[in-house]
Amino acid sequence: MSNPKRLHPAAVIFNIIQSLKQSIIGLLPIAIVIIRNSNTFYLIIGLLVIIGLIILFSFLSWLRFTYQLEEDQLRIERGILIRKKRTISKHRIQSIDLSQNVIHRIFGLTKVAIETAGNDSSTDAALSAVRMEDGRMLHDELKYKKHVPETGELETEVSDNEQQEQDEAHLPKRTITIQALLITGSTSASFGILIGLFGVAFSQVETLIPDQFYDDATRWLLSLGMQIIIILAIIVLIFLWLLSILYTVIKDWNFTITRYEKELFITRGLLEKKQTTIPLKRIQAVGMKESPIHQLFGFARPYVEIASGEINSSQEVNTIIFPLLRKKEFAAFLSEFLPEYSYRTENLIHPPKKALPYYLWRSINLPLLAVIITGIFFVSYIWIPAIIMLVLGIMGFAVFKSIGYAIDEQQITIQTRTISKDTAIIPHRRIQALQQKQHLLHRKQSLATLDMAILNKGAGRHFVIKELRTADSYSIADWYSYREKV
Amino acid sequence: MREQPNVKIATDAIKAWQLTAHIYALIFLLITIGAIVVYIIFDFLPLWIVFIIAGLTVAEWIITALIIPKLRWRRWRYQVYDQEIYIQHGILIVTRTIVPMIRVQHVDTQQGPVLKKYKLATLEISTAATTHQIPALLEEEAYDLRDQISELARVEQDDV
Repeated sequence: MSNPKRLHPAAVIFNIIQSLKQSIIGLLPIAIVIIRNSNTFYLIIGLLVIIGLIILFSFLSWLRFTYQLEEDQLRIERGILIRKKRTISKHRIQSIDLSQNVIHRIFGLTKVAIETAGNDSSTDAALSAVRMEDGRMLHDELKYKKHVPETGELETEVSDNEQQEQDEAHLPKRTITIQALLITGSTSASFGILIGLFGVAFSQVETLIPDQFYDDATRWLLSLGMQIIIILAIIVLIFLWLLSILYTVIKDWNFTITRYEKELFITRGLLEKKQTTIPLKRIQAVGMKESPIHQLFGFARPYVEIASGEINSSQEVNTIIFPLLRKKEFAAFLSEFLPEYSYRTENLIHPPKKALPYYLWRSINLPLLAVIITGIFFVSYIWIPAIIMLVLGIMGFAVFKSIGYAIDEQQITIQTRTISKDTAIIPHRRIQALQQKQHLLHRKQSLATLDMAILNKGAGRHFVIKELRTADSYSIADWYSYREKV
Repeated sequence: MREQPNVKIATDAIKAWQLTAHIYALIFLLITIGAIVVYIIFDFLPLWIVFIIAGLTVAEWIITALIIPKLRWRRWRYQVYDQEIYIQHGILIVTRTIVPMIRVQHVDTQQGPVLKKYKLATLEISTAATTHQIPALLEEEAYDLRDQISELARVEQDDV
């Protein structure tokens, strides 16, 4: 395969979709202005020109995009006017993931995403559409037939495909059950997000609905009476809830995690099939999240923090490695898939009682202000901020109760909470820096706040334990310190 | 982390910070003058606002130029070990930081016009996730420290 190859022509479609996505935000205000002025003729002309240009450019960029597999490197050339050539050497490649969305699957294609070692996502590469067998071939070619062994490591890379497949059966592997998937969907936070989106969409549409119709509809709705409105609202909520279940089922369908020697491998998706490879080397911390609902039923979501700039990085900075587990299964899950980390929380050390006022103060200071203000100006409404203050106070107390740490030889376990409880296991060598903060009152009460920074997909993550006893804070610092212990 | 680090930064740091504070105070002074001018010529501002602005200007100048630099200097300490860098700073909130040598990705020195006047420089230490500064070291010392740290940091960088 030494000749430069083009992508499958379907890549044009992806180019078009991508440019449409990018330009739609810029074009929307203009379109609205034109619609308002109701110059349909110009609108259509303008749209045609823009769409024409997008199609032309998408076609050209497909025409000028070639990839080529050489001895031990992948070479990509692209650019319509400015030609860009990129050579990616085989042994710099960290992971190659094949994923297919609906269009890919209609044509029997796949997307190939190649991630390299740098933290900079611009060094990565993606082939938006190649034939499935080409994708497989690229994957195997670039991944397994490494000529240069990993630096420093003595184990020889498994070089044969067949051997790889034979071993497959013995590898730790776990697939989600449909039942668990349904539970995940019905308790997921995407429900709330959907409600939010629905609200936003509605407020946008509102401006487009003619006032006449809007008024009529409102009058009709009000004439129905309270009960029916409530029932309607409940129906809408249930509909959104079902939608969020459906979304989770489609997204995480057949979620399977496999542990290879040096990486975790995840496949998922019903319509869009996605692969994710997580090299163990890049994992900075392992943890699990328990939202209040999950906590109530004893469920948890395990995740990893990875250092990378992924190409198709989603909004979430950490990567869920299994949609839903029973909390008591977590230790077993870890020892199966990531035996490098061990989960132990029996002897968590918590902040002392005298730290509680700080936690409560932090959670209620704003509502307290609101209570005072409403107390002065609208005494009869004081219960609204008071209830909010009570709820936030309880949350502050929950945060205080959850926070804690445990030190093992080579790892620290840190339990924190914002709304969800978050238990993270961080290896000693992944902590980039450690900081202890004390203000005046802290010093009098011998309390200290500790901050440990690790690397992740975003700007780094800080694990903060507030108001520990100074003795505990010092013992963490001693554990962390690289200085030769006297 | 029980004991504080034992190396202080350059004594001239106080002068440099004071100079910076004077320069900032000048901006406030200009605002005050502007307010007085507006008051006298256009008769537009109430007198008490002019007094508040003037008072704030003086207070700002006293706090940032006369009080803070000394306190800040007294608290600022650092120590460079073979295995890690240990920093302490902060007047009200005292922060102590440990940066292991093997996590250091690069070291920079910086020097603005004020620091240059006093032959001082700021050392900036970056890890993959954080950056830390030691301000106002003697020029020579900063450069030596930079080279020393980058030498020590070179030892076996494992991944990330």
